Amino acid sequence: MQFLTHEIGSLAKPPWLVKTSAGTPLQPNDIEHARTWGEKVGVDGYEELIATLERGNPDKAELGHWASRYALRLLESAGIEVVYDGEQQRTEMYAWAVEHANGFEPRGTVRSFDNKYYSRSAVTSEPSLREPYHNDEFAFLQSVADHDLKIPVTGAYTIAVWSYDEHFAPQTGRIGAGHGRNEELSARREFANDLARNVIRPNLESLIDLGAKWIQIDEPGASTEADELDIFVESFNASVEGLNCFFSTHLCFSDYDLFFPAIEQMHGCKQFCVGFANYDSRELGTSSADRPGYEVISKFRDLPYQPILGLGVLDIHTDFVEPPELVRDRILYATEVFGDPERIHVCPDCGLRTRSWEVAYDKLRNMVEGTKLAEEALSTAGAAR
Amino acid sequence: MQAFAPGIYPRSEQLVQATRDLDRGRTSQEAVDDQVERDLAELIAVQQDAGLDLLSDGMLRWQDLFRPLLEKTDGLETGALTRFLDTNTFYRAPHATTTVPKLGGPLGARYAAPLPGPRLVTLPSPYALSQGTGVPAARIAEAVLRPALAGVDADLVVLAEPFFGRAEDAKASELEEPLAALAGGPMLALQLTFCDASRALEQGLADLPVEAIGIDFYGTHLADVPKGFDKLLLAGVVDARSSTLEDPRELAEFADRLRNEREVEQIALVPNGDLQFVSERIAREKLSRLGAAKTATVEAAA
Repeated sequence: MQFLTHEIGSLAKPPWLVKTSAGTPLQPNDIEHARTWGEKVGVDGYEELIATLERGNPDKAELGHWASRYALRLLESAGIEVVYDGEQQRTEMYAWAVEHANGFEPRGTVRSFDNKYYSRSAVTSEPSLREPYHNDEFAFLQSVADHDLKIPVTGAYTIAVWSYDEHFAPQTGRIGAGHGRNEELSARREFANDLARNVIRPNLESLIDLGAKWIQIDEPGASTEADELDIFVESFNASVEGLNCFFSTHLCFSDYDLFFPAIEQMHGCKQFCVGFANYDSRELGTSSADRPGYEVISKFRDLPYQPILGLGVLDIHTDFVEPPELVRDRILYATEVFGDPERIHVCPDCGLRTRSWEVAYDKLRNMVEGTKLAEEALSTAGAAR
Repeated sequence: MQAFAPGIYPRSEQLVQATRDLDRGRTSQEAVDDQVERDLAELIAVQQDAGLDLLSDGMLRWQDLFRPLLEKTDGLETGALTRFLDTNTFYRAPHATTTVPKLGGPLGARYAAPLPGPRLVTLPSPYALSQGTGVPAARIAEAVLRPALAGVDADLVVLAEPFFGRAEDAKASELEEPLAALAGGPMLALQLTFCDASRALEQGLADLPVEAIGIDFYGTHLADVPKGFDKLLLAGVVDARSSTLEDPRELAEFADRLRNEREVEQIALVPNGDLQFVSERIAREKLSRLGAAKTATVEAAA
C-alpha cells in the first residue's frame, strides 16, 4: 500500500524574486541562490535565469514564472506526489484574492504572530469577481509540472473573517448596546455567502474549465468564531455544490473539536488536510499517549461521508526537521485510528512559507522518507499476519 | 475624565519591514532596535498630541501578551502557537515545566521602555497567564507578576484579561486571591478585553481588590454596569478590532451616559483591547479620536 503525499500551499519566495519585486538591487549571493537551487532541484534551463539576473532589470512576470518552476521542482525533487508552486506568483493568500475582487479597500498590515504579518482589507461594498485570478498561474503550471497539481484557493469564509467589515455590519450605535451577536452573525453570513457565490465559485468554475482535477479550499480562518461554523460550512457548500472536481479543505491551528458536528454537512469535501504536528510531541511512539496532537482525528474518521484525512506531520512554525521515524509514527498512529490507510494522505501542517527553502526541503524530504517507512512497516506487519 | 491606551500597539510599516528583514537575515538587530526607537518616539508624540493622560510604550518589543514573562520565568516556557480569541493573530500559549515557576529578573527597559511623563504598564492578568499551565493563578501572581510589578515604575498597571469573560464556568471570586497578592504596589486595573463582561459584573467584578476595572463596551451593555460603580472605569469605547473610525462625539455622548445613567464618577476612555489588531495608521487615528472624545467630554462638563 502507498500513502499519497502532497504539499499544502505556500513556500518562501526566493531572494531574487523578493528583491526584484521590491526594487532592491541583487547581491551576488542572491544570484548564487538561484544557481545552487537550480542545480540542486533540477530546474531545466536555470542558466537562463542566472543570465537574466546578471544582466539586471529583469521582467517581473518572467521572474514569477521562474520562481514557480523552482518551487515546483523543489517539491517534486523532494518526492512530493501532488504539488503546486508554493504560491510564488501570488502576493499572499488573502491579499491576492481581495486584490482581484471588487468591493475591498486595503487597511494596512496586522500581525499574524511574532514577526509575521498579513495585509488586511475592509469590505466596503458588495464583493464581486474582477477576473478569475488563478487561471494564468494554473495554465502555466500545467505546462511545466511533472507531477499532478492541486490548486489552493482561499475560501470565502476565511476572506470574510480576515476582512474588516465596513459594509455588511452596523457601523454606528454599537457602543454600550450589548453584544448584538445576532446582527453580527447575520452580517457575516451575508458577506461569506456573497463571496462564495460571486467571487470563489466563478473562480472554481474557471479552473475546472481549464482542467483542474483537485482544488483545495484554504480555510485557516474557519474556526475563528466558534458560533460561525455553520456559516463556514454554508459558504463552502455554496462555493462547490454541483461542480465536478475533487474538493478538499485545509484547516490549521485551531481547536479542531469546534468543527464537530458542523462539518458533518460538508458533503462536497472529499478530503480535509489538517495541521496536527504543531500540537504533537517530538518523541517517537504510536500509542495515543505518544501522539497527543492527533487525539481529535477519530472525529474526522467518523464523519458520515468518509472523507480522506490529509494528515499534517510537519510543524511549519519551527526549523526542527522532523526525523523520518517521527513522521512514520504519526502516520502509523493515524492509520491505526482510521483502520483504513486509503483514507490517509500525508502533508505538512500548513504552507511552509515561514521556513527557508533549506529547512522546507529537509522537512519535506523527511516527510517522504517517513511515509516510505510507514508503508514498509505496514507491509511488514501485513506480511506477518 | 481621562483617556489612555493600554496594550500592544501596532508596529509601523517600517518596523514590520525591519522585523521581516531580521527574520530573513537581511538586517541587524541593531537596525531593528533603531526602528523600534523611532516607532516609540512617534507613538509618544501621537499620545501627547491626543492629550492622553498616561503614556504607554505600546509594548513594541512584545511578541505577544505573555512572551517576555515566559522568557524570564524559570518554570514557564512558550507552548503551541494558539489563536488569540477570534482574531487572525496567534500567540505562544504559556506552558509550565514546574508547579513553582519563578520570575528570574525584572522586565527591564527593553520591555517597559522609559517614557517622558506619567505612564501605564500593561501585563497579563494572573488568570490569563495561568491558563493552560496547571499552575494556580495565585501562585503565578505571587511568584511571577508580583516581582514583575516591583520592577516597574508606573502610575497605573493594567492587567489585561482576555480569557475570563469568555470562560463560561469562570467565577469572579477566582480572581480575588490572585489580585490580592498583587496589591500594595502601583495602582492596578483589571481590564476584561474583547468580551461581554456582564456575567463577571453580575458576579461582583467591581468588588475585586483592584483600583480600576476595564470593560469592553462593544461586548457589554451599558445597563450591565452597576449603578454607582465606585472605581475608575476603563471604558473600552474604541473598537481595537475594527477599521471603522469612531466619532469622538459618539464616544463623548457615551461617557455622559455612563455618568448620568450609571452614576460612574471616574472614567477613563480606552480601547477595548490591544490596538495591534488594526494597522498603525488606523491605530494612530483612533488614538487621536480617543483624545478628541476626552476633550469634548471635559469641555461639555465645563
